[in-house]
Amino acid sequence: MTGMSSGIQLTAQTAKIVRIQRIQDFLFHKVTLFFASLVLIVLAGILISLIITSWPALSEFGPGFFFSSEWDVVNQKFGGLTSIYGTLVTAVLALLIAVPISFGIAVFLTEMCPNWLRRPLGTAVELLAAVPSIIYGMFGLFVFAPLFAEYVQPALTSTIGQVPVIGALFTGAPNGIGLLCAALILAFMVVPFITSVMRDVFEIVPPVLKESAYGIGCTTWEVVTRIVLPYTQAGVVGGIMLGLGRALGETMAVTFVIGNAHRIKASLFAPGSSIASTLANEFGEAEPGLHYSSLFALGLALFIITFIVLAAAKWMLARMEKQKGAKS
Amino acid sequence: METGIYNKRKRSNKVGLSLSMFAMVLGMVVLLWILFILFTKGFAALNFNFFTESTPAAGSAGGGLANAMVGSLMMVTSCTLISTPIGVLAGIFLAEYGDRSRIASITRFVTDIMLSAPSIVIGLFVYAIYVAQVKHFSGWAGTLALSLLAVPVILKTTENMLRLVPGTLREAAYALGTPKWKVSLAVILRAAKSGVMTGILLAIARVSGETAPLLFTALNNQFFSSNMNKPMSNLPVVIYQFALSPYENWVNLAWGGALLITLTVLGLNILARVFFREKS
Amino acid sequence: MTPDTSNLKNAIEVHNLDFFYGKFKGLKNVNLNIAENKVTAFIGPSGCGKSTLLRTFNRMYDLYPGQRAEGEINLYGENILDKDRDLNLLRAKVGMIFQKPTPFPMSIYDNIAFGVKLYENLNKADMDERVEWALNKAALWNEVKDKLNQSGLSLSGGQQQRLCIARGVAVKPSVLLLDEPTSALDPISTGKVEELVHELKNDYTVAIVTHNMQQAARVSDFTAFMYLGELIEFNETKQIFLKPDCKETEDYITGRFG
Repeated sequence: MTGMSSGIQLTAQTAKIVRIQRIQDFLFHKVTLFFASLVLIVLAGILISLIITSWPALSEFGPGFFFSSEWDVVNQKFGGLTSIYGTLVTAVLALLIAVPISFGIAVFLTEMCPNWLRRPLGTAVELLAAVPSIIYGMFGLFVFAPLFAEYVQPALTSTIGQVPVIGALFTGAPNGIGLLCAALILAFMVVPFITSVMRDVFEIVPPVLKESAYGIGCTTWEVVTRIVLPYTQAGVVGGIMLGLGRALGETMAVTFVIGNAHRIKASLFAPGSSIASTLANEFGEAEPGLHYSSLFALGLALFIITFIVLAAAKWMLARMEKQKGAKS
Repeated sequence: METGIYNKRKRSNKVGLSLSMFAMVLGMVVLLWILFILFTKGFAALNFNFFTESTPAAGSAGGGLANAMVGSLMMVTSCTLISTPIGVLAGIFLAEYGDRSRIASITRFVTDIMLSAPSIVIGLFVYAIYVAQVKHFSGWAGTLALSLLAVPVILKTTENMLRLVPGTLREAAYALGTPKWKVSLAVILRAAKSGVMTGILLAIARVSGETAPLLFTALNNQFFSSNMNKPMSNLPVVIYQFALSPYENWVNLAWGGALLITLTVLGLNILARVFFREKS
Repeated sequence: MTPDTSNLKNAIEVHNLDFFYGKFKGLKNVNLNIAENKVTAFIGPSGCGKSTLLRTFNRMYDLYPGQRAEGEINLYGENILDKDRDLNLLRAKVGMIFQKPTPFPMSIYDNIAFGVKLYENLNKADMDERVEWALNKAALWNEVKDKLNQSGLSLSGGQQQRLCIARGVAVKPSVLLLDEPTSALDPISTGKVEELVHELKNDYTVAIVTHNMQQAARVSDFTAFMYLGELIEFNETKQIFLKPDCKETEDYITGRFG
């Protein structure tokens, strides 16, 4: 019963098994490789199809398309500026509001929260992140906007609205819906997402680092701002940019409350439109031709903007991962 | 001791931490507020008809969301059936060959971007390459758009879960003379099974709530239809159309649908968490 | 320095073996023979290369880009470092047990049958017999015979390691490589595994890496002492521990370093 101590014997049977194994491994490699490359093919496909379909509009209006605020369906004159403006303003504003709130929640969850509360609250935040955006949109339109119009907008108009220069941002009829309202709803949507990323990177900080700061008498706030934040800064910035990427592309939360007007006005109370809301509203009725093509041009612009933001975010997060040798 | 400086620091600490707690409270208030509105307005719409009748025509009373529920169910199911093998196999590629392959690192990068890419652009893409070519909307187009969103989620979770399997298990399998494909499928994938399942559940949860990609692909269908080759009714688009309409019964139905979607998505998320925690 | 093995057959003969982790040389010009049906132990301080050497015998390092071996390792006359050598077949003939028990996520029965199914076509009755035989060899049969369908992960640490040994033995390899097989186990399980090693050498050639010198003295016939990638001394175990030739060996054994 000794195991073939005469050596590795290549019988006909084992030779056949070995041959079959080689073929199986080869197929396995090729099949999985194929499916992985599908992702790349799709990306290339998206870019190509967007460019091809938006070409008529781009060649007609030239690069000026992105700087013109005309949107005249009747006379077939289109420009992307109003939509791009709306996209950028709502997204940036949403982040300005969301980032401090997310930061606060992340600090609470990692430094202040009693242990028994940590899991339920953390889960609650993650569940918020899972709520579909159309819910936020409906909430915004039916509940938030009317309250916004009745209480917040008049208050803002009578306070900050009176300050010269900045005040122009907060004037106008209190309709509720508009750029500011859209930005707020977007902020609600983005907060849970940024909070998760921040909390994940905060938890990577080695406890010994925080303990040595506490050990010399630092307050909790100082530990957070002087130790945790600098240590995780690449990750935090990456997380914020991921949130920005999401906010730029968000459709439903914004479409319900942005007002859908192709105008650029100084006031944040004014209705406007984002690229996503324009697409959602007008694509259904767009006739083939310049309108159709212009919409695709907007889609292309949105895709490229978000791509750049997300790529930058990935790069920052990868840098933090490398520096700290941790998983983010 | 410099009490002046110390007091200042104490004050900053107090302010900072109070603001943090305030942020947490604010977050919870918003969450509860939204859920409260959703539940109260949504429950009001739930009745027997809601689940059995199809969407009512403009201006007519009553009706339900039966066709939308069936449509969503069919599209999400077919999306899952298509995207799971693609996502899992691609994830296996990244985990097994990822360290030596250029394609793998590029794929990983692109997948992360596709995870957060605007879903409405995905809808445009499917419209351009499929709907415009065959000249009609369909449930299959909707399924395709949803799959493009689900695959990156499944891919990423699968790769991460496979990588978490300890290297010694992998070596032990190779040490018996196991060929690579068998190590990967019969041992490693098996060890990571619950994590991979969680990824699939999360992907399903994500696509169940997506509206934008269905706007230009599946469109909507006023009547009950289980034909995937025709425009297909679905919950998100119905909610979108009905909510923005002037008809009261439509708005009510929209709230009911919103509640249904939210419960499904949250339910799947919780299921994924519990499942994963139990098995790991 | 080398033992008198003229009356023994060699299972493995190592000639001028160098090993590289990237640019770092982990093994330097190693030459030794592993006798058939004997237990050869490798001892030495951490980082001396004993595990590295063990892992060349089944080319486990091939899984990692950047690691390579140069020289000659003859398994029954055939050089396993040959690049045309089929690795799967080699590993079926040279089995390995690891420091941490690694049961597969399947039933106890399937764990044992897994390796056997790769290269042999046994019917159910023969497979049952093989599984029982392997579990008996690992002194585990009585403890698990009523729960063969339960997951391998449900066993205790010591039982899991014996399961891995049964799994390795079931495919009837020529050589068994044991890489610190008891360092993660409690003393009682360790004792059981050491008894096993004694028995296994009747049918298999065993090479064992251990950082526990007493264990090496207990179970092995030949011992190799390694330090900083070099083979310092290799002789019958009695010789090494009672009258070592080299000063470094003596220092290590008496605890002056390591």
